[in-house]
Formats: sequence, structure tokens, C-alpha cells
Amino acid sequence: MIGGGINGLTCAAYLAKAGFKPLVLEATDRIGGGACTAEIAPGFRAPILAHSTGPLRHDVIDDLQLRSHGLTFLPSEVSVTSLAIDGRSLVIHEEVNQTAAALREWSPRDAEQWPRFVSTLASLARVIGTLYSVTPAPIDDASGRDLWALLRTLRAFRALDQADAYRLLRWGPMAVADLVGESFENERLRAVVAADGIFGTRFGPWSAGSGLVLLLRAANEALGPARSWVARGGPGAIAIALESVIRKHGGEVQTGKRVAQVMVRDQRARGVVLVDGTEIAAATVVSGVDPKQTLLSLCDAADLGPEFLWRMRNYRTFGTVAKLNLALSSLPTFPGVDRESLTGRMRIAPDVDYLERAFDHSKYGRYSPAPYIEFTVPSLLDDSLIAGGGHVLSAYVQFAPYQLRNTNWDDAADGFARMAIDTLEQYAPGLRGLIVAQQVITPLDLERTYGFTGGHIFHGELALDQMLTMRPLLGWGQYRTPVRDLYLGGSGTHPGTGLTGGSGANAAREIIRQLR
Amino acid sequence: MRYDAIIIGGGHNGLTCAAYLARAGRKVLVLERRHVLGGAAVTEEVFPGFKFSVCSYVVSLLRPEIIRDLDLPAHGMELLPLDGTFTPMANGDYLWRVNDHYKTRREIARHSRLDAEAYEEYGKAMIEMGRFAKPILALTPPDPTSLDPRGLLDLLAIGKRFRAMRPHDRINQVQLLTMSAVDFLDQWFETDVLKATMSASGIIGTFLGVRSPGTAYVLLHHYMGEIDGSFRSWGLARGGTGAVSNAIAAAARGFGAEIRTEAPVAQILTKSGRASGVALTNGDEIRAEVVISSVDPHLTFLRFLDPRQLPDDFVEGVRRYKFRGSSGKVNLALDGLPDFTALPGAGPHLRGAMSISPSIDYMEQAYDDAKYGAFSQRPYMDIVIPSLTDPSVAPPGKHVMSCFVQYAPYHLKEGTWDEQREAFGDAVINAIAEYAPNIKNIIRHRQVLTPLDIEREFGLTEGNIFQGELTLEQLFFLRPVPGWAQYATPVDRLYLCGSATHPGGGIMGAPGKNAAMRVLKEVKG
Repeated sequence: MIGGGINGLTCAAYLAKAGFKPLVLEATDRIGGGACTAEIAPGFRAPILAHSTGPLRHDVIDDLQLRSHGLTFLPSEVSVTSLAIDGRSLVIHEEVNQTAAALREWSPRDAEQWPRFVSTLASLARVIGTLYSVTPAPIDDASGRDLWALLRTLRAFRALDQADAYRLLRWGPMAVADLVGESFENERLRAVVAADGIFGTRFGPWSAGSGLVLLLRAANEALGPARSWVARGGPGAIAIALESVIRKHGGEVQTGKRVAQVMVRDQRARGVVLVDGTEIAAATVVSGVDPKQTLLSLCDAADLGPEFLWRMRNYRTFGTVAKLNLALSSLPTFPGVDRESLTGRMRIAPDVDYLERAFDHSKYGRYSPAPYIEFTVPSLLDDSLIAGGGHVLSAYVQFAPYQLRNTNWDDAADGFARMAIDTLEQYAPGLRGLIVAQQVITPLDLERTYGFTGGHIFHGELALDQMLTMRPLLGWGQYRTPVRDLYLGGSGTHPGTGLTGGSGANAAREIIRQLR
Repeated sequence: MRYDAIIIGGGHNGLTCAAYLARAGRKVLVLERRHVLGGAAVTEEVFPGFKFSVCSYVVSLLRPEIIRDLDLPAHGMELLPLDGTFTPMANGDYLWRVNDHYKTRREIARHSRLDAEAYEEYGKAMIEMGRFAKPILALTPPDPTSLDPRGLLDLLAIGKRFRAMRPHDRINQVQLLTMSAVDFLDQWFETDVLKATMSASGIIGTFLGVRSPGTAYVLLHHYMGEIDGSFRSWGLARGGTGAVSNAIAAAARGFGAEIRTEAPVAQILTKSGRASGVALTNGDEIRAEVVISSVDPHLTFLRFLDPRQLPDDFVEGVRRYKFRGSSGKVNLALDGLPDFTALPGAGPHLRGAMSISPSIDYMEQAYDDAKYGAFSQRPYMDIVIPSLTDPSVAPPGKHVMSCFVQYAPYHLKEGTWDEQREAFGDAVINAIAEYAPNIKNIIRHRQVLTPLDIEREFGLTEGNIFQGELTLEQLFFLRPVPGWAQYATPVDRLYLCGSATHPGGGIMGAPGKNAAMRVLKEVKG
């Protein structure tokens, strides 16, 4: 198993549980990939990359009994808070009616709409969800099993009332700005919801197709714990729990082992070669790293064929998110935001145009001077992150285009961090004074240090043409590759969308079927 | 006096629908609000001696079977080839694609050898795409949420043909339906100006940018014209696009249809939930078995009918249907010809289309202006000078120049279009002058059509030239309203036949024909 990220570990855990002997090779000195917790300053541990996971799927948690391997979730009542400079922030609770009540002061109409919107989204999510736990059917030779799976989805689709059925067809290709525009009248509410349609992508809220991203995330949320819940010990704790499952079933996990190449003999993967030259043989090689890296740099072009190569090179992995982690001497004050709200996710997304403008800059190779930010203060729920006093703040900052024009990220990083902190300072006066240490991770760092090609946190754009049986490529949506016994099991395969374990679990099922 | 069918609107689709019904022996009456026929496909002598294709200015999507069925050439329709697209660049260079494939390859090779190679492949691929998509144009969209076997069979048939395609054609097809024009073209080409000018046809009539997913489809929508018949490229109609409408009208009359101009409809009459005729603004009431509206859903259902007669969710669907006019038109009467710095002189490049789309950034910036409610300071333009191919439209030595301009959002953030009209016109002229400085000295008259003017004059809501955006959520079985994509409406005996129905806008005639077929099937004469 190449790569010790959440999907890689999940895949390995399922394989170990099924009685096979997986070996996970992680290039960095820490497992977890996107889900890792580490010290950013003495006594301050923070979620280095992701602060809220996929979320991790219920069935994965249960199948692998992760709770009995030490995984605990710390619940938050608050889902998202949209911050306002004037202190009039908008709070979305996990509990629907509580949110509706809170919305009343903003817009009675939206307050009334909210429960309907949530339930509609949930019922559409259920239909999409039926696709998540199955291998996408190949379009040429769909087997009986595939058709049966599709039938389940079809039945779920038919179970929708006609209005919802059409919503599903319309919302997918739609611009999320239109979607929220149809549903709500309040700009702040529109923006904070629309943000889910652009996070991690190269879409602005007015880009058609961002509606799909909103639906995909909704489908995830239906399958796991609430996204505002955090794992005790940070996202890294999930990786540790998975590792312990793997070890318990006789598998192995090694860090600091960077794979240089997949060994291929007569069109079959026979194992891997590490950068230090060590050869490790295996019956099957699975890659948890993104498809581009796996196939374009770890494999030999000659084994793939020109058509496949061309398609894979055109697989879009243009990252737009940077990460900012702060160690703070004490809890900053956000005017108008109570302590409970701070346990959820905070967003800087005052209106839809703000998000669109943030996106505009990225089109011309500049980072947004007024970015969309989502941040959490995980230390509020989880004191295990802090040795002495203080808090840690973890922020996604978008848009930060992977390719900058007339400069590079190494030169731009400091200015970028300053800009991001200035933006936060507007909503939390005095924040800067509390900073003990800071860490900025640019899309370039994401690629160099953490191995996300193009710095794309989802291992590839969440676009209509890179989804389902087309993820990563049409004809290769079944976790297989042109090289026999080489599989993909990372977020660059269906269902993707990050740290849910879904891709890993699906890949494991395919591999087990093959190995038996 | 009672008719079998009344058709509201004498645009090319209304007339096509009328012609097919009359051909089948039905007694048809077409009612046009204006003094001329053709709707947006109309020729008018805006200035003495200067005849303009006021709105729609090029022809190519017109379905070949319609040309045959109605024998349009015999009724005076003549299409003149419009050869090539000339794109001047900011650095003084240019890109000039012509119908002669090898010339074009050599020209592209000037910019990039690789792209010249890819152009070959791309052309082939797009022909395959068109082959797949064309039959869908003639299809009545099925309703995927119903269990109606015919619809499901249609879907299955499409699925079969999809699977019959070669794998990489299949991939292209999926990408065309989902990707942005630029992402799609990026896979083939590296030359910025080539991608910019090609992607331009992906945004026409939409409120999307060249990087917005879904624009690749519109690329195809415009490509299909080039595939009809012997790979015919875009053409001009002798006498302007109005000549096409007049030919269709002549054909309809020939089959016995009655056509009245200056007969504005005020209301669609219903009796017990059933369309029974129309009332004109002058009070006249005319009865008919069937009423077919070629005007857009807003006018049809919110103006001509009382929404309270309609199901709520349907009315909501109509209200939600997006128009968002995004383009304007500037028609110029010229004393001479524009002189492009990039390629001076009155060469053959002036006989084709001139595209102001020098780079992808230029296109995106034009879009950015519009997104926040202003017209593009430096807009994308598609320009033709019909008088070079068809001297009959201008006095000797003089010329008419038609500029299609995007973006011009219907909803302005500041001011009204009546205040902004001339400023918009100036922006257009300045943008042209950047590439052809002499333009300012040769303009004799100028007509500026803003989206508001297009709405007022031609009854196109919000000035959308396609009677509604060509975005994925408004296509095929979702056009115009989910569940009502089959030309019928919630009102019995009331049908739609305009560009707001599948397969959408452009001088194509397909909606008119498809609707006529449905009516003939359902309502026996």
C-alpha cells in the first residue's frame, strides 16, 4: 500500500481484517496524510491539514471497530458560524429547528425555508449516497452485480417525489449561487451555504457545476458523524486508530519509506522500489496517493499506452486551498460570537459576490486579497491538543491558486500569511497580538511535502466529468489501472471527496474479490 | 371563422410550425405583433439604403430536413458562405482560420506546430460528437421521472448509441456535456488565442464565462451547424436573415396558412382549463382548436395567461427559468471598410467573421465585469460585414457591419440601459478601434441594441437571444420547465414551439417542427 493517508489505511485495514497481509509505506515520518495532528510550537498540537474530516463514514467506523481502537468524537452543537465584522454573526446549528429559530431575525421566509431545504438536501443526498458504497459500473460491460447496484439507486431516485427528482437533475449542473438564490433571500445565509459548493475546487459560486459539489458533500454528511464533530486528539487520531486495526490483524505500517517506482514485470505489478533502492515484492500494489502521481511518476509511461497517458495528463488537479495554523497564547475574542459557537466551524463568507471575487483573482494567477476562510479552534473541545495554556486555530484559506503569475509560492508565502491574518484580525481584533507561532502551508507545500499533485486536497477536481465511473478517468473508475495488480484506492477514485475512507473501503472490496 | 391552430409569434420557429401544420392540411393562423415577420431573424432597413439583419445575423443551424420539406430555396432562400474567422491579437499578430482545412493548419502551425496536428484530431472528434448529438435535436425529450415506455425507449436508444461510440468519443461526449470550453480545449491546444477564439462560441447566449463548466456543450451546439450537409460552415442569407423567415412564411402561405402582422395577442383564451383561442389587444377574439405559442414561457404563462389557472409548482418553474440576457448588438452603417492593424487592407479576411477574442484572460475579464452588473468595458465581439458578400444590403461603396457583443447584462447594477446605451455603444467602438483604428472615421450611422431594447422590440424576455439560457439545467428534458419539456403545457390544447423548448435557440427551426409533429399526433384535424 503506497501512502498512509486515511483512504490508504482504511483500504489496508479492510485487507488485513480479511486475512491478507498488507504493508503500508508512508513517505513522511507521520501517517494520516491529510489527517494528521502535530506540534506547531512546543505545547501546541494542531490539525496540520484537514481540521474537519470527510466525515469518516459510519460503516467504516463500525466495520473496523475504530471506537474500540481508541477513536472518540467530540460533538459540537454548532455546525457553522458566518462571522460578521459588525458582530452580527449568523449561526447554523446541527439541530434544524434551532437554526430556523436563529434565522428568524434575519429573514422569516428563510427561517421557514430552512427545514425544507435541509430535508430536501438530505433526501437527494440519500440517492447519491447509494452510489458511494458501490464500485461504479463500467459503461461497456456492466455485470449483473453492477446493474443490481444501479437498480438500488434507480429505486431510490424513483422514491423521490417528482419535484425532488427534478431538483437532483437540475442542482447538479447548476451554479451553487443559483441554487442558494432559489432557496433563500438572505445574502449571508446564501453565502455560508454556497461555500460548501466551492471548497477545495476551482469553482466560484457562479461556476456551473458547483451545485454538484454541494450535493456530494451533503451525501457525505449523511453517511458519517456531523462535520463539526472532531476526533479527540485531532484528525491524526483517526489514522492512529486505523493503524492499530491494521497491526491487530497482522498488517504492517512503516513511515519514512518513500516509494520511487512500482515494479512492473510483463504488465503486472510485482512490488515497489523505495528511493533508497530497497525492493519490496507484493502480490498486489495499491496506491493511496493521487492518480497522477501514481501513474505518471511511479509508473513507466511505456506500461500505460499513449491514449491513457494523454487522458491522465489532462486529469485536472489544480489546487486552490492553503492552510494557516496558529498557536495562540489565549482565546481571541470574536465580537458577537459566544464560546459555544466557537466550538463549531467559523466562516468568513459575508456574501456570494465576496466568494466570487475571491475566486476571480485565482483565474489570473493571484491569491485573493480578501479570501474565503473556514477555521476552527479545536483546542476548545479537545484540551489534549494543548500542553500548557493557550489555543490553536486552524484555517483553510481560499483562493490560493497552485500556479501564481510572476512569482512563486516560496516568495509569496509570507505575504500570503500576513494577508490571511489581517483578514482574521478584522473579525477578531487583537488576534495578531496573541500569536505565539504560525505555520502556513501553500498549495506548493501540499504537493512537495504531502504529495498532493497540483496541491489539490481532493486528489483531483470534483467536476462532473471526473466523478463516479469517470473518476479518475472514464473506463478506469473501478480502482484498476492499465497495469495488472496495480490498484488505486485514494481520494482520486470514486467516491473521493476527501477523508471519508469511502474510496479505500471500495478499493479493498475490489482487491479482495480479485485476490480470492 | 374557426381555425385548427393559432400560432402566437411570427418568428422562424412559429412560421416553421405553421408551415408543417398547414402542409398537413390544417387551417393555421399566425399572429405577429410587429409589422415584419421573423422575430429575431429579421431584416430591416434601419437607415435609408442600409439593410440590417437586426438581431440574428448568421445561418447554419437551420435543419436540412426543414429546408427540404419546405423547399425553402424555391421560396427565395439563398445561403452565401461566410468564410473563416479572423482574430486580431493584442501583440499585432492575428489568427485567421478559414474553411480550407490545409490553409488553416498552416496558419495554426505559425502559432504552434503541435496545435496544427491537434486541430486535425479535434475536427474529427467534433464531427463524431455532432453525429451523436444531431438525432437528439429531432427528438421529443423523454420524462426521466415517469415510467412512460416511449420515453424510456428513447433514453435507451440514446444509451445504445452512446455505447456504440468508440471509447474516446464517449469520453469526449461526456466532457462536452460537463466541462468548460477552456478545460475542454486545453486538452488539445496550447495556443492561447486559438483557445480563446474557439471557446467564444461556448458562451454565446449564456451568462457564463469560458471557464464555466457547461460551456463546452454550447461549443457543440454551435458546431452542429458546421456538420450539417457537406460540412457547411456558417453562412449569410442573401437579403439578411429576414429572407429566411420570409421564405418559411412563403412556404407556409403556399400550404394555405394565414399570416397576420401587427396583430398583437393580449390574452390566451381558455374554456374549462382548455385553450380555446386568443384575444388581440384590439379586442378581437379568434377561436381555434389549438393554440401554439412561439414566444417565451414568461410571456406565454405569466402575461397571456392568468398564472392562477396554472399549477403552483409549474408557475414556480416558469419564474425560475433563467433568461439573463447577456449580449447586445451594434449595427453600423459604414462609408468604408475597417482597416485592421494586424492585417491591413480590404483583404478576404473581412468577408468572414471577425472575432474580438484575443486571449482567454480577455474573455474572462469581459465576463467579470458582467458578473457584478456592468457591461464589459472591453467586450467579446463577433463581427460580420454582410455587404461584402451580398451588395444588395447597402448602397454602392457603402457597407453594413453587424457586431454581436457580449457581455451586456440585462440587470445593471448602476443606472438603466436607457442611460447607459450610448456609453455601451462607445465601449464597443473603442474595443474595435484597438484593432482597427480607422473605424471611428468611417461610421455613418450606428444602432445600439441593449438587452432591454431586444426585450422591448422583439419580445425576448430579458433580451436573451435563445429565449432562455442554454445551461445544462435548462436543456433537453429540463427545457423550459422540468416535466414540461414535450411542447405540451398544463393547459390542454396549448403548446409551445419556440426556442425556449428543446433543442433551443439559433435559427434552427427544430423546436417549431418538433412541436408541429406533436400537435399533429395528438390533435386530429
